[in-house]
Amino acid sequence: MLKSKKHVFWEALIITIVIFLAGLFLGMLVETNNSNKISNFYLQSEISLSDATATSRLIENENLDCEMLKESNIRVADRIYEEAKLLELYEDSGKITDNMKLLHKKYDLLRALLWISNQESLSKCENYNMIVYLYDYNTEDTGKKATQNVWSKILLNIKSQNSDILLLPIAANQNLTTIEYLTEKYQVKQFPALVINNNQILYQLETAEPLLDLLN
Amino acid sequence: MESLTILYLTYTFISFYFLTIYILTYTQNRKQIYETIKPDETKSLSIIIPCFNGEKDIAKTIEAHLSSNYQGLKKIIVVDDCSTDNSASIIKQYAKKYPQVLYVKTPKNTGNAAGAKNYGSKFVKTKLIGFSDDDSTPQKNAISKMVGFFNDDKVGAVTSRVLVTGKQNFLTRSQAIEYKIIAFTRKLLGFLESIYVTNGPLSVYRKKAFDQVGGFDIKNLTEDIEITWHFVSKGWKVHMAIPAIVHTYPPTTIKTWFRQRIRWNVGGLQTIAKYRKQFLNTGMLGLFIMPFFALSWFLGITGLFFLSYRFSQYIMMKFLVAKYSVAANVALVTRDSFTLNPSILFFFGMLLFALGLIYTITALAYSKESGRLTGHRIRDIFIYSIFYLLMYPPLLIVAFYKYLRGYNKW
Repeated sequence: MLKSKKHVFWEALIITIVIFLAGLFLGMLVETNNSNKISNFYLQSEISLSDATATSRLIENENLDCEMLKESNIRVADRIYEEAKLLELYEDSGKITDNMKLLHKKYDLLRALLWISNQESLSKCENYNMIVYLYDYNTEDTGKKATQNVWSKILLNIKSQNSDILLLPIAANQNLTTIEYLTEKYQVKQFPALVINNNQILYQLETAEPLLDLLN
Repeated sequence: MESLTILYLTYTFISFYFLTIYILTYTQNRKQIYETIKPDETKSLSIIIPCFNGEKDIAKTIEAHLSSNYQGLKKIIVVDDCSTDNSASIIKQYAKKYPQVLYVKTPKNTGNAAGAKNYGSKFVKTKLIGFSDDDSTPQKNAISKMVGFFNDDKVGAVTSRVLVTGKQNFLTRSQAIEYKIIAFTRKLLGFLESIYVTNGPLSVYRKKAFDQVGGFDIKNLTEDIEITWHFVSKGWKVHMAIPAIVHTYPPTTIKTWFRQRIRWNVGGLQTIAKYRKQFLNTGMLGLFIMPFFALSWFLGITGLFFLSYRFSQYIMMKFLVAKYSVAANVALVTRDSFTLNPSILFFFGMLLFALGLIYTITALAYSKESGRLTGHRIRDIFIYSIFYLLMYPPLLIVAFYKYLRGYNKW
């Protein structure tokens, strides 16, 4: 005669819990590994930024070569930009932990520091352009997300055709006092926005031309 | 963790739990799946076939029952539910020719199968009572494979395996796969005393149990689900004999398919509402069948929500990016667009899909109808797994809406 096998409900529950916990644990391991990788990059970028900041200070005191300063700053910005792309990729796949979000914040702060350190050297040297791209990090608006996506592409195009551009994409609404202060200082009213060479602000970017017109 | 991620994980967990139940039940009972039981005695049986405008198939159905090799089959009662076609004269011809066949007619059209079935049951004097649809043809040995389960006095109902026959198109081929999976799943649920439906094409009940529950509920659109829940709630056991095969004609057009499934699902909801007080109460009905039913709805609807939300967002995003990119004269696609770094949720989804597919193939392989592994083309399994199953969640929402509006059309 057929026997009832109701114990299977408990067995299935235990197996499901075990597989789920194993999956979550594996996911956390992968995400932690990714964040460790980014953290290592971050440390190196921090060193490069400190180096560039020190160079900026030297120029104020010892009349250092503007060309050298430009190269140093752009190199740091480009490096951070490349690392941020990897960070973004990991961030999209990071569903369990918040490590990547914290790292994103750290990178934003790093770029804000680069923005600050370039304020005086840019006005003194004027041999390069600085574009600060302030975007809305937390938006759920698909239209805004699409706009920001296309702005990134336009900026990347411009950057690839002109090596004298220091491009700093910064997530504006990350509750970071420095960034809030800077956006207030430049009277940025909405995001996305572009602060060009610390004196012009663009809220519309349908093509590259209006931006190119504002560059030195 | 985002709320959408939590919802997704909950969805995956429940789906994974149900699949694991099936897989474990299968691995622990696979040798018993085809098991039949030799009857202790030949119990007398009457088969009732409700018929409304069934002139096309009724002759084949009666003949299939006449050819049954079960010695205890005493009567084949064909209930004419005031048909307006030629059904009555066909049935009468058989009644005249075969003393086993009895023609009875309802005083007026009952409007549903339950009414005609209950009417036919009044003429039954046997220990067992069976029901069959007017377009369903059981195999010669189907009933013989079922009756042995009644050796156990606690068994109130035994159901069969329904397979599809007739016209071939993508819809019927998908239903052919679906019916086999349903049958396999139902058999597995039988090991857990959780069979939730005794199908209309061929099911046999103990007359005593049938009378105890008062027959079929004529207000319910799925009287076969309702009566099964009623049996279980009264403590009767329900079994399935997988070797007992009955063929039926499935809907061949989307419209008729949709209408049938709406009826099934509205009937399911009517049944849940009727037995709501049993929810999470002791017994398999409250502890497993009802939560299983309710969660199946939840999974179907949340699955649709996920998919629609993600898909519409994806499409909208792609459209806007393409539109703005063209206006800005930048590349539509960049190298970064192809960089993939899937999340753990993706792997959970893939694992679930793979397990589902393995389960589908195992269920089909168990049908053993053809020499091939599954008896179906890979293309048909693919269509079933991706497109056919996707038609279900919207249907559940429509059914729920119709249920709330008091839909009661047969």
